[in-house]
Amino acid sequence: MHELYIVVAIAELAVGGLLLVRLAVGPTTSDRVVALNTLSTQATLSLLFFAAFADRTAYLDVALWLASFSYLGTLVWARLLERDLL
Amino acid sequence: MREALTIVLCALGLVFTLSGAVGILRMPDVYCRIQCSSKTITMGALPVLLGLVVAEGPFTAYGGRVLVVTVLLLIVNPAASHALARAAYKDGVPMWSGAVIDEPEQKTRRARRGRRPTRA
Repeated sequence: MHELYIVVAIAELAVGGLLLVRLAVGPTTSDRVVALNTLSTQATLSLLFFAAFADRTAYLDVALWLASFSYLGTLVWARLLERDLL
Repeated sequence: MREALTIVLCALGLVFTLSGAVGILRMPDVYCRIQCSSKTITMGALPVLLGLVVAEGPFTAYGGRVLVVTVLLLIVNPAASHALARAAYKDGVPMWSGAVIDEPEQKTRRARRGRRPTRA
């Protein structure tokens, strides 16, 4: 069971690596923000599974914080784009 | 039984996550990419998280917090995707050349046509 956890964690990180390509080449700022938003979700999942693999509940809190507040970054970027403040 | 269910859920979630990431890489404009991103999060993250809950049980330290994360993702991500799509539209990010309809544009044009001419 624990092997499955680390496999899932690494797979989520690998998908995050694919998203980094979009983050790097994205033609507009919106594309980059989309990639970043998805990337933060992948990081949350990876952290949760790594916590279950390593049997450390402390890592769970990191994932919880990331899930709670990563969307604030997206909302701030959306506001900046919408009001043309860039 | 429980183990098999976990493996199935994780595999389902990983397949959806991978396809969503490929979509984000390959889709032609930002609106399609936003759609792929929200599918990745809903259909890709939730089965994986539910798999962890099934494996650990819902009332353990892991399962409980994973459930909290699941609810947070369900609430927050559609809102963030919507805000982002709206911001991209208002920012004037062009649509793909094959796009067939631009509903907000039509709506504003119709409203403008229906309005009486204002005094100068």
